[in-house]
Parts: sequence; C-alpha cells; structure tokens
Amino acid sequence: MISCRNLTRRFGEFTAVDGLNLEVATGAICAFLGPNGAGKSTTVKMMTGLLAPSSGAVTVCGLNAAANPLELKRRIGVLPEDLGLFDDLTVEEHLLLTGDIYGVPRQQTRARTAQLLHALSLEHGRRTFAAACSHGMRKKTAFAMALLPNPQVLFLDEPFEAIDPVTAKIMRDLLQSVARHGVTVFLTSHILSMVERIAHQIVMIRKGAKVWDSAAGDLPQSLEDHYFDLVETPVVEELEWLGPSRS
Amino acid sequence: MARPFAILRALALAYRRDWTAVQSLAGNNFFLITAFLLRQAGTFVYLIMGLVVLFPLSTDPLRKIPPSRLALWPLERRERWILRLASPWINPLTWGLAALAVWGAGRIVTVGMWAAVAGLFAAVFLLTAVPLPGGAGMWRRVPQFPGPLNQLVRKNLREILSTLDFCTALILSLAVLAYRVFGPALPPEALLAMTVLVVGAMSSYAQCLFGLDGEGGLSRYRLLPVRGWHLLLAKDAAFLAVVIALTLPLAVFPGIGAALVTLAVGHAPAVEHPRPQTRWRFSSGGALGNAAIQVIALAMTASAIFSTSAWFLAPAVAAWALSLGWYGREVERVLG
Repeated sequence: MISCRNLTRRFGEFTAVDGLNLEVATGAICAFLGPNGAGKSTTVKMMTGLLAPSSGAVTVCGLNAAANPLELKRRIGVLPEDLGLFDDLTVEEHLLLTGDIYGVPRQQTRARTAQLLHALSLEHGRRTFAAACSHGMRKKTAFAMALLPNPQVLFLDEPFEAIDPVTAKIMRDLLQSVARHGVTVFLTSHILSMVERIAHQIVMIRKGAKVWDSAAGDLPQSLEDHYFDLVETPVVEELEWLGPSRS
Repeated sequence: MARPFAILRALALAYRRDWTAVQSLAGNNFFLITAFLLRQAGTFVYLIMGLVVLFPLSTDPLRKIPPSRLALWPLERRERWILRLASPWINPLTWGLAALAVWGAGRIVTVGMWAAVAGLFAAVFLLTAVPLPGGAGMWRRVPQFPGPLNQLVRKNLREILSTLDFCTALILSLAVLAYRVFGPALPPEALLAMTVLVVGAMSSYAQCLFGLDGEGGLSRYRLLPVRGWHLLLAKDAAFLAVVIALTLPLAVFPGIGAALVTLAVGHAPAVEHPRPQTRWRFSSGGALGNAAIQVIALAMTASAIFSTSAWFLAPAVAAWALSLGWYGREVERVLG
C-alpha cells in the first residue's frame, strides 16, 4: 500500500532523508520511529504529496505521490504535526468541512460527525472554536478529520503525544479497528510503550537513513532497549544544585 | 518590590512589540485614500479611524500574562495590587487620557469630550479584563452558504469580521444609513463617494486574504483535496458577502463592481507575498504601487457602473474570473 524506492530529500547541503526503501502492506500499522530531526516528518510530507522528493519515488494506494497529489489527497487521511486547524471554525464545523470537501453525502457526514464526536468524547465541545480548545481537543478534532472520509491510508504524525490516557486508549482501539478493516496506518511517535502495543511493523530512522525495519514480533529485545541501542542512547546528567540544600 | 517591577518590565516589552494597531495604518489603503485624496476634508474619517484604533489599544496590559502563569508566580497580595494598579500605565493611552484631563482642567478640552473618550477607553479596558461567557460570540454567528465550500466561506467571513477595516467600513455604512433615514435626501453622487470609501476601507484586506489563517490553516489547505481557485473563491465569496451587506444602503452595484476589481488586483500580493495579519488591527497590504492601482481601479469601476448601468459589471466579473483562475494556480504553487 505504501512503497518508497530510494526516497531522498535534500535541503541545500543538508540531506533530511537519504535513500529510504520501505514497504508497508495493506491493513498494517507501521510505526516510524526516530529522534527529533531524524527525517520522520519530511518522509511523511513526501508520502502525502506535500513535498516533492529530490530523488527516488513514493507510491501510495498505487499512485505516485509527487505526480498525483490531488488524487492521493482524496484517498488518504492525515493528522499533521501542527494539526492544521482553523481558529475560526468550531470542532463540529471542521468535521462538516471535511465531509463537504471530500464529497461525503451530507447525511452521511452528519452521521459520521455525530459518531466521531461521541467516540472521541468531543460532544461537549462540539461548538467550541479551535482557538479556544485544549491541545487534547484539537488533536482529537484533527484525528476525527483524518478518519471522517474513510481513507485507504492514514498518516498520523505523533498521534499519542500530549493527550490523556483515556483518549490515547480510544485512539489506539480505533486505529486497531480501522486496520482490521483494511486501512493502512503509518504513524510516527515517541511513545514507545504505545507503539509496542499496536504496531505490526517497526521502522527506525536516524539522520535520514533507515536503521531498522522488521515485523514487530521480530525485534530481538524490547522496543525501548532496541531503540536506545540503534537510534539514540540517553545520557543522564546530574544536576547537583537540585535538592533541599539549594543556594 | 523587585518582582512586580520585573513583571512590569517584561509586560512593557511585550506591549511595545504589540503596538501594531497604529503601525498597521501605514500599509492600509483607506489611510492612503484619506491622506492623499481627502486631506483636510477627511477629518471626519480620521475621527472614525481614531475611534476604531482606540478599541484594541484600550485593552488591559495585564491580560498579556496568562492567568495560570500569573497565579503560579510567588507574589504577595501587596505585590499583586501593585501590578494591578501600575500595569494600566504601560498603555500609552492611559498617559494620553491623563494629559487630556490636565488640559481639560485648563478648558482646552471640554469635560464632555474627555468623559466620552475616557468612557470608551474604560469600557474596552473592562470588557477585555473580564472574560465574557462565550467570548466574542456575536461576531461568530455567520450565515450558512450553499455548496461544499460553505464552512471555508464562513471561516473567512469570521476572519474579515475580526479586522478593523470591517469596523471602519461598518461605521461609514451605518452613518450613511442613519443619515438617509433621519436626514435630508442625499445627492446620488454622495452615495457613490461613500461606496468608494466603504470598499476602499475594505480593500487592503483583499491584499492579504491568507493573513489570518495562521500556520495551522495553511497546513490544512495543503492537505485538502481541492484546487487553488477553490480556496481563493471561498475567500472572495466571503469578501463579496461583506461588501454587498455594507453597500446595500449605498450604491450596491457599483460596490460589487468595485469589490470585484479590488479582489482581481489584490490576488497578486495576497498569493505571491502573503503577509501575516493580526486580529483587531487594520489590514496591512503590500506594495504602494499595488495599493494605488487597486484604489484607482475600484473608484473608476464604481463610477463607471454608477454613471452608466449595472451591465458595466460584466468587465469587472471577467477581470475577477481571469484573476481567480490565474492566481488559483499560483496558490497551488505557493502552498506546494
């Protein structure tokens, strides 16, 4: 469903993504992991047709992302890093907008909106403007917008960050459910415990290059240990001035 | 005492950086029209602009600090009182009012005028200091529009309603409406002149149509499976809806024609040089040349329609449609 061939993106002298090869099967949940600045968001932007690769190609739903961005956008749902919400629209209006733009019949849009608002516990804030929403509400709204048109592939940039545990559980269950129905999910995250629970495929990237790609069950050790070994080893520094005998 | 002063210093810095209500006048077409064309005859218009600018400048400076942050700081009750009493003096308008009061004592300014300005200042100060239930709900209620761009048009309409350009145009329009209802009959040419002023007041907004969308909005535009001209059409529809409503008591067809050419000329800077805008400020347009072309074109179109017939709308529609198609493609290129 998603296929990258030697995908490369350069910004001047800097290579953000370097010759990435990747295959994600239909109905799989693929977690794309790496530290900040590793090239995750750049890769997602190229996969969703928002950024043209410097070389190589990415195919999603059988479409070349760079050549058919409009057709691709009709088939995918995206939760972008900055959520992409309008301050002047309410939570409910964002979902109605999505239905209208993606050509979902009005009655279906209303029914799906009601279901999504209920499923994501957004009913009480349906008439709240995005500018006045909490970060969690904004993230849930953007997530609902990605789901509403019933896409073939979901791209989620850090979906579990900065949300409460109940919402995280609801989103996790929804993702597992849509994957069972054949929707492919490609997500980036820093919350390894959550990734370990839902991902079928684990891909790790460091400085733009792929350092690991396997089925989740094929990891030689726990995801966290493997991540620290391959991607980034945490360095803990002692801050001696912290404590009761402070100056 | 060090803590309140440190906070006041930071607050003064933040307030100075936000002193854009006056700065935004510099790139505004309406200011250019009144400064170059009306000169001394524009005193009435300057008064309106002064009043409109007074609103955002009258806000409580202490509101710049998030209440949760203010509550967390280890300040004593006395220090909070100092902050409360000293912070209004960060706003230069407070000093202006104090100066007016001193002059008033010398009978240069009448007590009535001082009271009117101070009352307006105090009202806005209090309104912004007290969180209202539902926020600025009145401005948020906008009608539904037909078609799949409905929610985008409504969003754009709300953006327009949160600019001082709209407030100025609304005051002008309401003033003429009141005069037509209660005053003697106006010569038709006066209606044309006021129509040009109203569309002129709105015209800078047409140069920065994407200015209030923010990064989140632009990011969403990139994701939506629509063509660039759809996005531009949603912007233009909201602009036209506002202009039609404002010119109904004036000369509506010349107003529509003027709005169409305003948009046709404004698409270029709006798309190619998008400038971020701030709510409750005047829209700050692009280059002076573009503003001059826009103002001349809108005045000529309004005059032509006014002195001939509504059929003169056809070339305005054609120019707008051409610009929509051309810059629609540019929107796709710029958004990437």
